[in-house]
Amino acid sequence: MIKLIRRRLAVAVPVLFATSVGMFLLGASSPMDPAMQYAGAAAFTTSPENMAELRANWGVDDPLPVRYLRWLGNLLQGDLGWSTTRHEDVAAVIGARAGWTLLLIGITLAVVLAGSLLLGTIAAYRRGGLLDRGLRAGAYAVESMPVFWLALAAIAVFSLALGWFPAGGLTDVRATGTGVGDVAHHLVLPVTVLAVSQTPWFLLFVRDSVAESLRDDHVLAARARGLAGRTVLFGHALRTALLPFLTLVGTHLPELVGGSVLVETVFSLPGLGAVSVQAALGSDFPLLAAITLITTAMVLTANLATDLAYTAADPRVRIDG
Amino acid sequence: MADLALARPRRRTLRLRSGHVGTTLAALVLAGAVLAGLAAPLLWPLDQSAIALDNIAQPPSLAHPGGTDDLGRDGLHRSLYGLRVSLLVGLVAAVVATVIGGLVGGIAGLLGGWPDRLLMRVVDTISALPHLLLGIFIVAMLRPSLGAVILSIALTHWLSTARIVRSELLSLRTRPFIDAAIAGGASRARILRRHLLPHILPKIALATTLMIPHAVWHETSLSFLGLGLPPHLASLGNMINDGQRSLLTGAWWASIVPGAVIVMVTLAIAALAARWRDRLDPRVRAELNL
Amino acid sequence: MTLLQIDGLSVRFRLRDAVVQAVTDLTLSVRPGELLAVVGESGCGKSVLAHALFGLLPRNAEVTGRALMGEVDVLRCGEKRLAREIRGRRLGLVPQSPATALTPVRTGRSLLAETLRAHRRDPGLADTVAADAGLDAHALDRYPFELSGGMAQRLVTALALASDPPLLIADEPTTGLDRPLVDHTLDLLRRRCDNGGAVLLITHDLAAAERVADTVAVMYASRIVEHRPAPDVFAAPAHPYTAALLDALPDRAFTPIPGHPPMLTALPPGCAFAARCPRADTACASRPGGPVACHHPLVSEAVA
Repeated sequence: MIKLIRRRLAVAVPVLFATSVGMFLLGASSPMDPAMQYAGAAAFTTSPENMAELRANWGVDDPLPVRYLRWLGNLLQGDLGWSTTRHEDVAAVIGARAGWTLLLIGITLAVVLAGSLLLGTIAAYRRGGLLDRGLRAGAYAVESMPVFWLALAAIAVFSLALGWFPAGGLTDVRATGTGVGDVAHHLVLPVTVLAVSQTPWFLLFVRDSVAESLRDDHVLAARARGLAGRTVLFGHALRTALLPFLTLVGTHLPELVGGSVLVETVFSLPGLGAVSVQAALGSDFPLLAAITLITTAMVLTANLATDLAYTAADPRVRIDG
Repeated sequence: MADLALARPRRRTLRLRSGHVGTTLAALVLAGAVLAGLAAPLLWPLDQSAIALDNIAQPPSLAHPGGTDDLGRDGLHRSLYGLRVSLLVGLVAAVVATVIGGLVGGIAGLLGGWPDRLLMRVVDTISALPHLLLGIFIVAMLRPSLGAVILSIALTHWLSTARIVRSELLSLRTRPFIDAAIAGGASRARILRRHLLPHILPKIALATTLMIPHAVWHETSLSFLGLGLPPHLASLGNMINDGQRSLLTGAWWASIVPGAVIVMVTLAIAALAARWRDRLDPRVRAELNL
Repeated sequence: MTLLQIDGLSVRFRLRDAVVQAVTDLTLSVRPGELLAVVGESGCGKSVLAHALFGLLPRNAEVTGRALMGEVDVLRCGEKRLAREIRGRRLGLVPQSPATALTPVRTGRSLLAETLRAHRRDPGLADTVAADAGLDAHALDRYPFELSGGMAQRLVTALALASDPPLLIADEPTTGLDRPLVDHTLDLLRRRCDNGGAVLLITHDLAAAERVADTVAVMYASRIVEHRPAPDVFAAPAHPYTAALLDALPDRAFTPIPGHPPMLTALPPGCAFAARCPRADTACASRPGGPVACHHPLVSEAVA
């Protein structure tokens, strides 16, 4: 277990380091001038002397490696920098929003996993049947729909035409605080849209691997012992197919994060995704870089978590792990 | 017993026929879309500045199947123009991504050893990053423009091609006919040109085709966020972004129609590519039968 | 009174470009207390027979004929009835290749307890049932990949015994076992028959069949070629194929049968053994019938 974590860290640290270098180089090649951005509209009225002083203070004209090391050093000390678009501390911007994004992604992931495991297994059991064919056709269709379009369609139908759910935001405009029921009501559509857009891939995977597992010798043997259909399906077929699925969940997380950016934007949720789009529109390097790095770190952590879960679930790995 | 069990049940006639219908439909949709996209300027010229104020924001009708926008322009007509932009950007980006991926995978697969390990570590690194966020970062730093969008797509989509090319090369290296060619004294360049390339080119072409829908999504996602193509290049993503605002006033068709065009064309490309993959590698039959 | 009466069972597999004739027109019966051994070389269709009775064949299989257990035709009664009344309850299976027949992510104890529970028996009996099959209790707490081939074999036997079915179909239950364990397993099967149960033993091990079987059915190229009481078969084989099989045994003549069995995708219209048979003549171009499927049997009275 410890060995696995250490091995994972040995990969994660270089990954984060390489990402930070790559991002810094991209940022440095950007035509945007951070000093000008910082000064904002004031840049036009500030005297050249003051601007030069500002530049010297920020060290924007120092050589690349010096600037990189300074940035990295600040990051490691917990100083994520100053957002040039929001004019506040990057850490504060992220701190206020990360929770909502984690909530959105967390609930969605739970819905996706429960839905795809259940539906995929049943489809595999009745493969070739109406449910199987319907689910697969639906999955292929949804897979070709951009998530933001799905979100707009959901708003058009469920918010505007039927009026069941709010079209955006996290709380009612009249609300004074953040009530749990209010937030939940506002999250139904975003979570559903994100879950529906992410489920096909998982569903098809579960369906195919369980269908394959159903022809395995050990499943036939379990049936020959006279076990109930449900026991065979979930206790034997799904249980063996589950293991490779676990690691794939980890590798599919970046996709989910990308989807959350779009969904947050469409539903105007105050999460990291929406704020990173605003940051991108203003070429806000410190904010954008911090969000990307933190997201990458979270994805790597989640990968580690799925690997640990795999180790816990598969006795074959546990022994030599 | 074991090998008998492996032989999957096949309802052959039915499967083949439904496959044909799907493929034909997909081919028709794609051909229609490409034709409409490419030939639209000749057949049905769109005057971007033509404004019909007596016909503003009309829902879909027989005269305007895609409705009209807030300047009275036909929605379906504009969508076809948007498709033209999106497909061209997607195609170019997919080709650029394939070139990058082919080079990286080729170097890794041909050299092996530490260059292989290093390059594959880079590939693994980038695939651990959320594509869209990385794409947003690239576009944001380079400022939204045609070139930035293509670069954003290419830099996030070359990984799969690199993996395919590398593993194909590695498996080809162990095949007897390569040994025979080496034993026969063929030069490296000749082996590459005469033996390796003919084997991997069809797979690369297939990978590129399969990438186009993803490239189109990436472009439309960026454009939708306002980080993509400049507004004068009315791609589908830009149109949906515009339409998002009119959604709240009830003009749902303004964003739904261009989206439906994306869905149909990407489905068509995916269906055709799946057939193609079946042809290329009959052992792995694609599950996609429409 | 019979436990199982199979009449004219045929199984064919439709492949993309061929048809595999795995079992042809097979007729057999098993009475309570009988140990019937079905012997033959590997690939002659023995295991398909077992899977057909359990309704576990892949979907491309075409099954014809009847297999009655009491009044139930197990080939026709449908999945639901098989699962509720037949499998495990009236018909137990010791599957071939125990290494793949065990769910890899669960311990032997969890599998055994689950099976006992499914048949309304006390899951605490796991140790006893395992011991009956010759498996130590501590081996039950291991995962299948940690078991040796012999331990896995005894575990699948224990799993089949857990539901205590009246008829047990044992498909090569002695593979991977050393001599004392082979004897232990065979004695176990024999004991079941002596206590009123019945066993259909599928094996390529003629010595094992000779040791415990009451009746022997010899299978060749998808057909039963000889079906007689065991002592008769081993003392005076009637079919030339049976004789050749016995001659191939190390403690007999130790001479292998010349040639290869025919492919199940291309069976000859006449006697399938004719190409390898020293007694074959023109008559063998037509299919022989009777309890000994031969135009020129070695023991004539057996034909009558």
